[in-house]
Amino acid sequence: MAKATPDGYVGGSVCRACHPDVWQSFFRNPHYKSVASGKETPAKTGCEGCHGPGKQHVEARGGKPTIPFAFSLLGPNQVLDRCLTCHGKDFTRADVRRSSHTQAEIVCNHCHSIHKPSTQKFLLAKQQTALCYQCHANVRAQFSMPSRHRVNEGFMNCTDCHNPHGTPAPTWRMGLRPRMVTQALANEEPCLKCHTDKRGPFAFEHAAVRVDGCETCHYPHGSPNPKLFRRATTFAVCLECHNGSGEFGRQADGIPAHSPSHDMRNPRYQNCTTCHVRIHGSNSDRQFLR
Amino acid sequence: MRNALLIAAIAIGQLTAQPTVAPSTEPVGPARGENVGGYNISDSFELGYRFRSLGGNLGKYRSDVNFGNGIRLLGSRLQLNSREGRGRLFDELSLTTQGLGNDPYQSAILRLEKNRIYRYDLSWRLAEYYNPALAVSAGQHLLDTRRRFQDHDFTLFPQSGFKLFAGYTRNSQTGPGLSTAQAFDSRGDEFPLFMDVRRQRNEYRLGGEATLAGFTLNFLRGWDNFKDDTPIGPQTLSAGNNTADLTTLSSFRRTEPYHGNSPYWRLFLTRNTRKFSMNARYSNVSGRRNFLVDELAIGADRLGAARNRQVFVFGSGSRPVVAASLNLSLHPTSKLTLTNHTGFHHSRMSGDASFQEINNDRAGAQLFNFQYLGIRSIQSITDATYSAAKWFGVYGGYHYSTRRIQSLEGQRFDGFTDSVFFEQRNRVHSGLGGLRLRPVKALTIQLDTEIGRASRPFFPVSERNYHAVNGRIQYRARNLSLSAQTRTFYNNNSVSLFAHSSRSRQYSYDASWTPGSRFSIDAGYSKLHLDTSTGIAYFAASQFIEGAKSLYISNLHSAHLGSRVAFAKRADLYVGYSIVRDTGDGRQFPSPIPAVDNAAIQVFSFAQTFPMSYQAPMARLSVVLTSKLRWNLGYQHYAYREDFSQLFYQNYRAHTGYVSLLWSF
Repeated sequence: MAKATPDGYVGGSVCRACHPDVWQSFFRNPHYKSVASGKETPAKTGCEGCHGPGKQHVEARGGKPTIPFAFSLLGPNQVLDRCLTCHGKDFTRADVRRSSHTQAEIVCNHCHSIHKPSTQKFLLAKQQTALCYQCHANVRAQFSMPSRHRVNEGFMNCTDCHNPHGTPAPTWRMGLRPRMVTQALANEEPCLKCHTDKRGPFAFEHAAVRVDGCETCHYPHGSPNPKLFRRATTFAVCLECHNGSGEFGRQADGIPAHSPSHDMRNPRYQNCTTCHVRIHGSNSDRQFLR
Repeated sequence: MRNALLIAAIAIGQLTAQPTVAPSTEPVGPARGENVGGYNISDSFELGYRFRSLGGNLGKYRSDVNFGNGIRLLGSRLQLNSREGRGRLFDELSLTTQGLGNDPYQSAILRLEKNRIYRYDLSWRLAEYYNPALAVSAGQHLLDTRRRFQDHDFTLFPQSGFKLFAGYTRNSQTGPGLSTAQAFDSRGDEFPLFMDVRRQRNEYRLGGEATLAGFTLNFLRGWDNFKDDTPIGPQTLSAGNNTADLTTLSSFRRTEPYHGNSPYWRLFLTRNTRKFSMNARYSNVSGRRNFLVDELAIGADRLGAARNRQVFVFGSGSRPVVAASLNLSLHPTSKLTLTNHTGFHHSRMSGDASFQEINNDRAGAQLFNFQYLGIRSIQSITDATYSAAKWFGVYGGYHYSTRRIQSLEGQRFDGFTDSVFFEQRNRVHSGLGGLRLRPVKALTIQLDTEIGRASRPFFPVSERNYHAVNGRIQYRARNLSLSAQTRTFYNNNSVSLFAHSSRSRQYSYDASWTPGSRFSIDAGYSKLHLDTSTGIAYFAASQFIEGAKSLYISNLHSAHLGSRVAFAKRADLYVGYSIVRDTGDGRQFPSPIPAVDNAAIQVFSFAQTFPMSYQAPMARLSVVLTSKLRWNLGYQHYAYREDFSQLFYQNYRAHTGYVSLLWSF
């Protein structure tokens, strides 16, 4: 056995002797970089970089309890602490301590498999969609709708819109919900990363887009209705807000109901966007007609 | 044993998703790769032919599914890794593609990395978006466009304490579309118009990261440019949608270039220790767009008078946005975590448009419209998590948010200015609590609830008095996984005359069993219930109708079943079935818009319920030809049926499938 350091580190070559299966393909693993560099301290390289000093494990001739950091035996907070030792300074993990996943004790090794990953990138335990669906079965049902974002087709991933490591407070709605939704440039809803034509700024913004966000009218995952609509008819979507009632709207005197010239018996007026074509925001008409 | 585990893991992974039939997911064998020089290379690609036969509404099929006929590179993967981690030019090259050739959803993902020196990531995606002016929404807006996305990210010295970043993103949308325009006033007829969509966004990024004395500072500077040069017309026009209307349009042309940029800054500072962690971020975006509208319409108005109208509009919109947040996490013991997130966001949208109309060679006065919408919000989110034991943990939190909205809407006409300014605030207090039980290692039970109270929400359908109750139970053993989940969300938003209430209840059950490498099965069922009742008001025959209700009831049942059988390591058969069915409120053929005469109120008094079904059974056979070659044959049937329309003109049945060869080593 190679001589251990005073801290009990024995070096990765000792681990190899008993765990050749792990070592054999480890060169594909992103963590192999620490081994390849040859410049890291024992505490930051190879097996012991994550699992801790191996002296006791070697002397006991194996056994999980003798591994200082055997991840399958660690509690959620300990797993988190261990991984964040290196990964905690990344911008995308700034909210990991307060994320809904962490609250539910879903931590790193629930989704990532370091030694038997299904994906080379991010070392996910399963393909991303399958990984998320295994807990979020209701979301899977939403992505089975006729009108949906193309996640099952492999065109998109859940992480295009969500950050499973947590996100700052949303800048739309009241900033408390939804959680775990990532933000696009300018801290906007992620929808606007792709749907750039809806982004503006416009001379006349539709307040619904900016104040409460796209979900005011659309379901983001999937819907039985076209265009991911919350309702199957356009007029129902519009009139549920545009009813002139109470203290709502920009001037807190109700969101304007439509004009008397609109006879709702006439199908012509039941599809609002036929005339109000620029419903997400317009540059030339405050009623979004042009 | 290792191979068996690998196959089982892949099988479970594939079964828990709802796959499209292609590309094939069955592996030729464990990816072992071949050593060439100092590199290990593994590769696979699947070349095949897709076929499609369709009966029914092609437009709806293209909107929902869109797979067509032809030869495709259904999927490919190339992986090169240096065995010692000290390659000359790179240590890792990873390239994954899907659907290249002519699939509606194509992608290529590349990573190129040299340890300690650089890392380059490329993501390229293409989606064919087809929206056939779906009849359910009575739409007349068609889009047959292609969206292309590409992201390039380059990092210099990725493993060091000092990193540099550069990035580029491009997003474009091109293709034909149909829109509508109204002429010559707000009561005039509408006309379908052709447009040639040309939109493009380019974003450039530069940044860096430095770690010093335990603090890490990350900064990013970006420039985001957007342009929309979609022309509309010129074209020969029809008599319009409403034949009873006298409005005609003999010529129409509209040009409306819309260009602008949004330069931004982002700063991020973080510090992590054993007992606490903190991070702070700040971003500043200054968005501006300039536009010009030049429109010419010639024809007759709704009274039959000849009209030659030109409209000129020019102006700009701007939206500076500042966002900042501070996260503090304390973990005084290994069991307790306290976190606080304080967020600040302020966006100020302002725009103006100078409008001038020339009617039959007579110029009207110039009208100057302007508006401002300022949204400032502050959140304080405090949570505590306590893991009392391995089998028991609790968490809870108090969340507070306050928002100020300032609105200014006005116009200036002939020296006279009219504007309305209003400011309003609303607040939300919410609390949540939950617990997690793990009586045995394989079994997890989680319950949580949240209750919130908002003052003065902005919309009638916004969250006001809401509560949510969620529960999940999961059993995961080596070969068996069972789970059940429930989510309920109730919201009530009422004022003196109008009320909005929504009730959402979701129940999901899922099971998967993989007794060995030769067989696996996965099944699940979800019920998504939603009913909303909202007060509405509208005009019918010039009569203002108040106190009506818009009722919407949806009961969506979604189920899936998938099973994979391996025959003596020579062939794999996968069969799957998924169905979504909306049973509405239980009626088989409700009439969403009943025939009415002067009782227009009935339009909304009826529950809006739209029963439909959408199902997609599939089967795939994959046969091992050699140790590196597989032959695959797949079939997937799509059936969409609406039960709410008497005409059924959006229904379709599609037979799709593919045959392919998959080669890999």
